Amino acid sequence: MLIVLFAVAVAAAWWFTTRAKQSAIGDTITVYYAKADGTTLVPWQVSLNPARGERGDAALDRRSTIFYAATQCVAGPPPGTQAVRFPAGTHVLAVDVQGSTADVDISKDVASSAEGGFAESAEFKALVWTLTQPKFGIDSVKVKIAGARVATLPGGHLGLDEPLSRSSF
Amino acid sequence: MNRFRVRVFSLIALFFACAVGARAQDAPPNVWFQGTRLIFDHAVASQGELMVSTRDAGMRRFLDRLAATVSYQPQQRYVVITAADRRTVVFTLGDQSYTAGGVRAQAPVAPLADGDDAVLPFYALARALYVEPVATPSEIVLQPRIGALDVRTEGGRTTVTVRAAMPLVTTTNAESSERVQLSFAGLGSSLAPAGRAPGTAVDSIGVAVAGSTKVPITTITIQGARGATHRVLASGSPDAYTVVFESARGSVAVNAPPTPPPLAGWTPPPAGAAPGYPQTATTQPAPATAAPLIVAGRATVTGLAIEPAADDALAVRVTLSGAASYAWHRLNDNRWYVDFQNTTLTGPGRDEHPSFGAVQSVRVRQTGSSDAPAVRIAFSTTGQQRIDLAPSESGLVITVSTATTTDVARTGTGRTGGAAVVASAASPDPNASPSDTGGGTSPGWKFGANNGSKIIVLDPGHGGADPGTQHYGLVEKVLTLDIAQRLKTLLVAQGWTVRMTRETDVDPVSAENIAKMRADGKANPDDRAYLQTRCDVANNAGARLFISIHVNSAPIESARGTTVYWYKPQDAPFAQAIEKNVIPLAGTQDDGTRHENFYVVRHTSMPAVLIETAFATNPGDVALLRQPSFLQNVAQGIANGVKAYAGSPSANALSQQQ
Ligand SMILES: [Zn+2]
Repeated sequence: MLIVLFAVAVAAAWWFTTRAKQSAIGDTITVYYAKADGTTLVPWQVSLNPARGERGDAALDRRSTIFYAATQCVAGPPPGTQAVRFPAGTHVLAVDVQGSTADVDISKDVASSAEGGFAESAEFKALVWTLTQPKFGIDSVKVKIAGARVATLPGGHLGLDEPLSRSSF
Repeated sequence: MNRFRVRVFSLIALFFACAVGARAQDAPPNVWFQGTRLIFDHAVASQGELMVSTRDAGMRRFLDRLAATVSYQPQQRYVVITAADRRTVVFTLGDQSYTAGGVRAQAPVAPLADGDDAVLPFYALARALYVEPVATPSEIVLQPRIGALDVRTEGGRTTVTVRAAMPLVTTTNAESSERVQLSFAGLGSSLAPAGRAPGTAVDSIGVAVAGSTKVPITTITIQGARGATHRVLASGSPDAYTVVFESARGSVAVNAPPTPPPLAGWTPPPAGAAPGYPQTATTQPAPATAAPLIVAGRATVTGLAIEPAADDALAVRVTLSGAASYAWHRLNDNRWYVDFQNTTLTGPGRDEHPSFGAVQSVRVRQTGSSDAPAVRIAFSTTGQQRIDLAPSESGLVITVSTATTTDVARTGTGRTGGAAVVASAASPDPNASPSDTGGGTSPGWKFGANNGSKIIVLDPGHGGADPGTQHYGLVEKVLTLDIAQRLKTLLVAQGWTVRMTRETDVDPVSAENIAKMRADGKANPDDRAYLQTRCDVANNAGARLFISIHVNSAPIESARGTTVYWYKPQDAPFAQAIEKNVIPLAGTQDDGTRHENFYVVRHTSMPAVLIETAFATNPGDVALLRQPSFLQNVAQGIANGVKAYAGSPSANALSQQQ
């Protein structure tokens, strides 16, 4: 009897573990980057590892996944890939999610050099497309720079005063 | 089940928290880095790891030296460190498994939350950033290393890129055009000592490490093929160094008409039969070029997803554990295959007949020998399809387009899945799926509203403390004012009343707008460029048209040309008229008109455009921007566009009265 119980316990444990692992490996998100033409977006897949889905807090999962996607988008595609990238050192400070709006706080490095509308537009288009992929349930993206709301980047062109969506571009 | 997992997680977290607490008084080991001792103030040693908080001074200093940044937010599950070369290292709280540049690894201790900070396994992090902790009897030396050597071949051209933890200080000794020796002072290496790549423009690469633990020197010797020439390429990152070798026959091979490779043992299927592939590797044609230079550990194909992509393309996502070199080959009978060298397949082979887009079949097989296993993924397509390879963090994405290609490239190589992911240069850009979304969707805009005004507002971009873009000695705010003044003269001659948002080198920001934007919580950090003031000039004047003039710049030198941006639907025909009239006079590349959320076009109430005249980052455009005649031609082109769109002001005023 004990042996049977033990076997059942082992089988159950094995099943849980395997299931968790499968969901972890299978789970990817799409991150976009802008090609050298500054407007064409290229989707690439980032695996959402490690060990997503093990803890099952849906709200935490969603918030963390969106944060993860934002960090990957700002970091850009792998080295050697030609892309319009955020300025060096730019990183995500925080992402708050309220309903279908993501509020992204980006480090001030994003404004480190006044550049043309070309780069600004390419960078934020990639970010907005990344965060509004269907599975996130996000349709608009608010932007803060180092914790502050801004009308544009200093010396910038793109309006950051209103939430951005895919139709902004 | 979820609750159970949460509890288990809490217990694990608690255990580590206790372990950390119990050892809190243990001093961390002496850690030497770049000539000084790293002082850790929030760190404990645990199970051979050094657990360090993200707020720790030593951690901060270490990351600063490597130009790496940390993204972490309390209540988040992930901690993301971005290296200077843009690779990410991702830790999950409570989980020993982490990824570095998309490759999964295990730390001996899981990271955990500590108030508003995260505590990370420091040695694992250092290794992921290409810094190896080397234990000596008295201390731990953090030795920056050459982390990756990427080799890719396209036609007769082989590119070798060295990547490292730190900006590379290189001594180059070109012994001949065929042979170059690169010395990297201060960097160690864990790369394989040597590799050979016959058949490419590079015959062999040798890696040797000398010096001491604290001051290592790594020398990389690259021997090109006979008659090859080499040159150093700008890599775009101080942490990378790129040398290109071109074989003597390279250019001939690339430009030669496609010749069918030998098809040893392969019999084409009879007409009408289902397309197929040789069942075993021995019947496949021999690869035209060999590939892997540096033999990595064996990789495994852990997953394969076949899914539709944009424009009826088919995407095959290959998931790899570990790094692998690959070589692809295009055969002249609509077959294409890629071999991942030194790679094994988990599970049996696979045959798919997706009948989707241009793909008839996809076949996956374990090939090669037990000593040199390979995984082959082969496609049969309806024509000579365009096939793009894109590295993903976890492997390779192969996209088969419905479009055919006349590209003569028959073979290429690359490396993916490892710390340094490099797409084969022989494949063009990965296919893009989303294109421009086109027209604006904001409701409530009135199309082509002609308010009958004779006023046009010109907005010379930037000004004062905001210089705009500055490259090659050009300053955007100077050029935009120059063009605007020329344009003003032309428009006045057409009969328009012209108002400028600025006539001199100032940043037009009204005190009242500064107060307002602060009240609205939209303050720019230094009050610069509050663009609403410029919009107010046009809105308050009830202007007929608004034209903002700029000079573009891009992080990529190749970007060039003229673009006219619009936002409101009523802007679009005006933008098209400007673009159409500027291009022939200016002689720049026509980059078209683009819908864009630019502040000044969005917040003006009349048809408005923002013209990016040319790129201050493209040498060809720079040469143009230096000529007054070019600035005059741009002004004339805009004036012609105004006339084409709005006619003459008197006619407008007349039509308004009727
Ligand atoms: Zn500008």
